[in-house]
Amino acid sequence: MSDDSTTASTGLIKPGFSLRRRSVLLGASGLAAGVLAKPYIANAAAGEPIKIGMIWAKTGQIVAQAEYLAQGGYIALEQRNNMINGRPVEIVWLDEPNPQTAQQNAERLVSEHKVAGIVGGALSSFALAISSVALKTKTPYVAPNAAASEITGSACNRYTFRLNPPVPVHTNVLAPYCAAMGKKWYIMTAAYAFGQDIKKSFTDYITAHGGTVVGSDEVPVGAPDYSSYILKIRAAKPDVVIGGVSAGDLTTFLKQWNEMGMRGKIPFAEIAVGNTDLWGVGPEAADGLYTITWWYKNPNNTPEDKEFAAAYMKKHNRPAADKAWMGWMGMKSMLDSIEMAGSTDSAKIVQALESWKMQRGDITAKYRTFDHQMENRLLVAGIHEKITDKWDYFDVKAELPKSAADIDAAFGTEAAIGCKMGAL
Amino acid sequence: MLEMLASQAVNGLVLGFLYVLIAIGLSIIFGMLGIVNMAHGAFFALGAYLALMLSNQFGWGAALLAPIGTGLLGMLVEKVLIRRLYGKEPLLGLILTFALALLIETLLRRFFGGAAVPFSTPKVLSGFFEYGPILTTKFRIIVLCVTVVAMVTFWAFISFTPFGRIIRAGSRDPEMVGLLGINLPVVLNFVFGVGCLLAGLAGMLAGPLQTVTPTMGGPWVMPAFVIVAIGGLGSYPGAIVAGLAVGMVNAMSVQFAPDWAGVAMYALMAAVLVLRPRGLFGEKWERFE
Repeated sequence: MSDDSTTASTGLIKPGFSLRRRSVLLGASGLAAGVLAKPYIANAAAGEPIKIGMIWAKTGQIVAQAEYLAQGGYIALEQRNNMINGRPVEIVWLDEPNPQTAQQNAERLVSEHKVAGIVGGALSSFALAISSVALKTKTPYVAPNAAASEITGSACNRYTFRLNPPVPVHTNVLAPYCAAMGKKWYIMTAAYAFGQDIKKSFTDYITAHGGTVVGSDEVPVGAPDYSSYILKIRAAKPDVVIGGVSAGDLTTFLKQWNEMGMRGKIPFAEIAVGNTDLWGVGPEAADGLYTITWWYKNPNNTPEDKEFAAAYMKKHNRPAADKAWMGWMGMKSMLDSIEMAGSTDSAKIVQALESWKMQRGDITAKYRTFDHQMENRLLVAGIHEKITDKWDYFDVKAELPKSAADIDAAFGTEAAIGCKMGAL
Repeated sequence: MLEMLASQAVNGLVLGFLYVLIAIGLSIIFGMLGIVNMAHGAFFALGAYLALMLSNQFGWGAALLAPIGTGLLGMLVEKVLIRRLYGKEPLLGLILTFALALLIETLLRRFFGGAAVPFSTPKVLSGFFEYGPILTTKFRIIVLCVTVVAMVTFWAFISFTPFGRIIRAGSRDPEMVGLLGINLPVVLNFVFGVGCLLAGLAGMLAGPLQTVTPTMGGPWVMPAFVIVAIGGLGSYPGAIVAGLAVGMVNAMSVQFAPDWAGVAMYALMAAVLVLRPRGLFGEKWERFE
């Protein structure tokens, strides 16, 4: 046998192939390197990014709110250096121009991008569409912005969690203020789940409190002109107008409300609005009484809220809108829960979301086990008489409900909500 | 009731005239260039943003330059992009103008942000206008006057000037116009610019009445397409009659059948197309048959 070469005639080595010692050493080194590197290769697989799906509108009438919702989500991720349990995390953001596309994009996120969870659904109709995909594909889903009751009520499911209080909670906070201004109400709402929910809950409230609804209209989403509706409202002479048009539609309505000289003549009130809706109206036309979920100047904001507000200001050079906070809070609860679950297994993430908590002053913010609705307080806010700061429109009057027991009562009992959750 | 009907009618007319401005732009671009301009809504938004920018910098008077700026940008776009599509597959025009719409929206988002920006009516034009039973606002009366003047001017230009005659001839037989030694590319460039100018004018007038965002053109362009279908593709009087009809149908449906307000104009379109598939004033155009 030669010292430096071996000729093999059997096995994998072809006849006539000269196997030199250097080749053998090289091959052996390669094998050894493979064995030694194995744990690192396995770790590299574990180090593949965890993907979180985000569905916020990039087009349509809710796009202004959606921009802030998305920015809040990104800050939640950046605050943990884009990592969970040592693995990088990526956000995949898809559009929701209408409920059908929201549903298709939720399916894409699950099937193509293999996301561990989804956060999004700026309008209730979008959130309901995404929620159905969450149930079908067993994907954890957090809806930070949608307010229609069904989401955590009759259409609830084990995989869907909601941050914004539902319409009846907003109504019970705002309606007493409206009733104090008069008991003849005109209700003008959008012609979809959110608006219809508002119409029902405010009608129920005022009729139960001895008042009347002197007129009501359901307006198509994205209507460019409200003059015909405003003329009807003017003719009906109500004490208060209850609005239920969202985002860009509210901005358009308020501009035309002012343009037609109605600002200050008949009080206008609406629930669940965003800073951006009013910022777009401008100081000359802004008017109304509202419920909002968060306010960057609230002295009761938690240290985490303040840290978020500072991070937002640093990154975007403007105060954080309430919608940015909602996007942040929704994404934070999802990321925290994936970390708590210690895996991307959907059942474990759902269980972690069910036990996720955050102390907010004297109350604990958490998703209730029986309907996955987060309990939190709301702010009742009017508009400053004179607006001197282009970001500071709200004149906050109260933070309600007051006690933890009042909050429980306002959000409703398991029997009253009627959510049939189902198994994992 | 008379007061309500009269007021609804006037406000319906204002809405209708704004629709007409957008629809005429769409119609002449299709009639001359054979292109369905999916970016028309983006030019509408561009007009509103230019007016906002100019009025913030130099006062409302300067905002009147916004439609001209939109028209010039339209001419530039035609020169760089659109003219490459002439004589090509119609689908290419749809795709390119759709992409152009996305590009303009993205640029607006990049420079102004995605959130709505405040844009109010000039102070001098705020307040009501009452005449007999009619109740509307001063700004809407100005909108009405400006759109009527713009339409009459454009009609007179098309009908009575040599350049207008070339445009009309070019819309029917562009090859023959070219063979006569007329520089057709210049004419087409001008027509695209005028179409965009009209969209920009509508954007400038609608900006103070609605949410100003990069996607604000969407809710306005869909009715404009409906108007073009009802009035007849490429028909100037058709666009006017159909635009006013859509505005009135919208206003009256809100008053008398609010649950049908969202579908009323589509029902009108369906009814017209069943009776006259080419629209009210539509004619047979050999080029598009």
